[in-house]
Amino acid sequence: MNALIELDEISKNYGSFRALDRVSLKIDAGITSLLGPNGAGKSTLIKVLLGLLRATSGRGQLLDYQLGRHNRQIREQVGYMPEDDCYLTGLSGVESVQLSAQLSRFASLEALRRAHEILDFCGMGQERYRTVETYSTGMRQKLRFAQALVHDPPILILDEPTSGLDPGERESMLNRIKILACEKGKAVLLCTHILPDVQAVSDAVVILASGRVRVAESLERLSVPTAPSLRVKVLGDADAFMSDLGRAGLKVRSGANGTITVEGVHEELSERIWQQARQAGVGVRSIEPSRNSLEEIFLTAVREQPDGHS
Amino acid sequence: MAIHDVGYRTWQGKLASPWTRWMVITKAGVRRAWQSSWLKRMMFFAWLPAIFFALGFFLWEQSLLNRDMLRMLDGPMRHQMQDLDLKGFSAGLQIEDERVARHSVWSWLLYFFFRYPQGGIMVLMVGIIAPPLISQDVRSRAFLLYFSRPIARWQYALGKIATVWFYLLMISAAPALLLYVLGVFMSPSVQVISDTWDLPLRIVAASAVLMVPTASLALCLSSLTEESRYAGFSWFAVWILGWFTYAVMTAVELGHTAEPDSTTLEKWAPVSLYHTFGEVQGWVFGFAPFEQIKYAALLLAVITVVSTAVLFRSISAPLRA
Repeated sequence: MNALIELDEISKNYGSFRALDRVSLKIDAGITSLLGPNGAGKSTLIKVLLGLLRATSGRGQLLDYQLGRHNRQIREQVGYMPEDDCYLTGLSGVESVQLSAQLSRFASLEALRRAHEILDFCGMGQERYRTVETYSTGMRQKLRFAQALVHDPPILILDEPTSGLDPGERESMLNRIKILACEKGKAVLLCTHILPDVQAVSDAVVILASGRVRVAESLERLSVPTAPSLRVKVLGDADAFMSDLGRAGLKVRSGANGTITVEGVHEELSERIWQQARQAGVGVRSIEPSRNSLEEIFLTAVREQPDGHS
Repeated sequence: MAIHDVGYRTWQGKLASPWTRWMVITKAGVRRAWQSSWLKRMMFFAWLPAIFFALGFFLWEQSLLNRDMLRMLDGPMRHQMQDLDLKGFSAGLQIEDERVARHSVWSWLLYFFFRYPQGGIMVLMVGIIAPPLISQDVRSRAFLLYFSRPIARWQYALGKIATVWFYLLMISAAPALLLYVLGVFMSPSVQVISDTWDLPLRIVAASAVLMVPTASLALCLSSLTEESRYAGFSWFAVWILGWFTYAVMTAVELGHTAEPDSTTLEKWAPVSLYHTFGEVQGWVFGFAPFEQIKYAALLLAVITVVSTAVLFRSISAPLRA
């Protein structure tokens, strides 16, 4: 099956500055997170995908539509939730969503019905009848989400959908995104700086830095370390226990929150760790296969030079 | 809480035509503008002059039935009408052929209706409607909401321009056509329609002359700033400064000319948009040859083209950023 979004060597220059440098990507159904530091080219990539900017070179395809040639059709198939606090002044929440639906070619009455349905899904109550200017940041966030969804697009591009939300609302928003991706089969491109959100919902991760794709892989694969290792948490003096493990000939390094990472094949290694713990008189709280944290993956990818060296 | 939350449902319906999306923007703009109480008051005052001009139609038609009234209009009231710059009206009274006279008088009434009351009210009304139309979208970054949809720049621009056109139609063509219909009903026979068939077309043309350049210029100013008040200030400055310059220059010119004629005043019309519009509308209603107003028409065409080009460029700018 073809990918829903496919980019081939897309570049975008602003004068002499290259914002996107030969970006090649394939994005399937499910949730793909687009990560990158500020100025990495994420917004430019989104604008190229939406046809708001013309790529300097390269080719791309959304569903069956060519980037740059079928912009109107592409925008019919994409729901975009901008990061910026953008709204239409003087309109109530429900009118804003209705207008968005009408701009996406819904008839007036059907747009109103659909707007109410989507606002219900987004957890907006009677506040939908207030003008948007009176909304809090969280309410505006939900409104933009509703506007992106109202025309039932197969592809969603969500730019920082959880920023400005309280923890409860954040969880609800992530749940909605999961429902859309898992139950309704939509492809979601999630741009965010909040790594726990990515870890919570994403199937795949794309990391952009300096306009280049540094990482494009499923989160499952990225989480598996290159060398097998175990992460050990102990009750007692972790530093002394780490020294004991080192003296016993094991390759160890300290991790965050007093954890110890021990490199080696899992089956034989756990046995030796238990023995060393008994001898040292420390209690083992947990032994589990270690996984790469997204933060480590992100920082490594961003620090990497464009030619592939750290 | 939602009354009937059905969760997320996919949608499979029939989509509307992509070519009518600008109307969605227009409807939203019209509804939004109508929330202003100032605009409602302005609309009320914009229709008041129509009553005065309806009286003109009534008097003229009555004068054809009652010669005493014609003598009164042509006699004691002649000076008042000349003071009011209604020379054309009294000139029409001199024409022997009733059918020709009717066409002339109706044309003058409609021309004056466009030129004086509606011309002034148009400046005020556009000054209320147009400044926030695009500047607020720039300020609230609503461009992304529009252009992430299947909306082209021309559809956005047309939607916004049509919002201004709608209100201008409501104060120009709509009352003028109503006056015309009123005139037809007050006239003694239906033959009047064949005598004046061209007047509805001239009304539409005069409205277009009023609407197209003004809407383009006003939205061009609106697109250049995030602050509606700056756009409003620029709009009024264009009209007031132009009118003031025209008044000063013609006064100086008349003071230095021994035998002033119509060209003395026409020469300075291009400095004032108000007078430029007046010149072209005079041609539309048949009171001036095209040769006399060609520069005024060219000026309005240039204003329209340049304003529209700037408007399109301004609309694209936030997307390129």
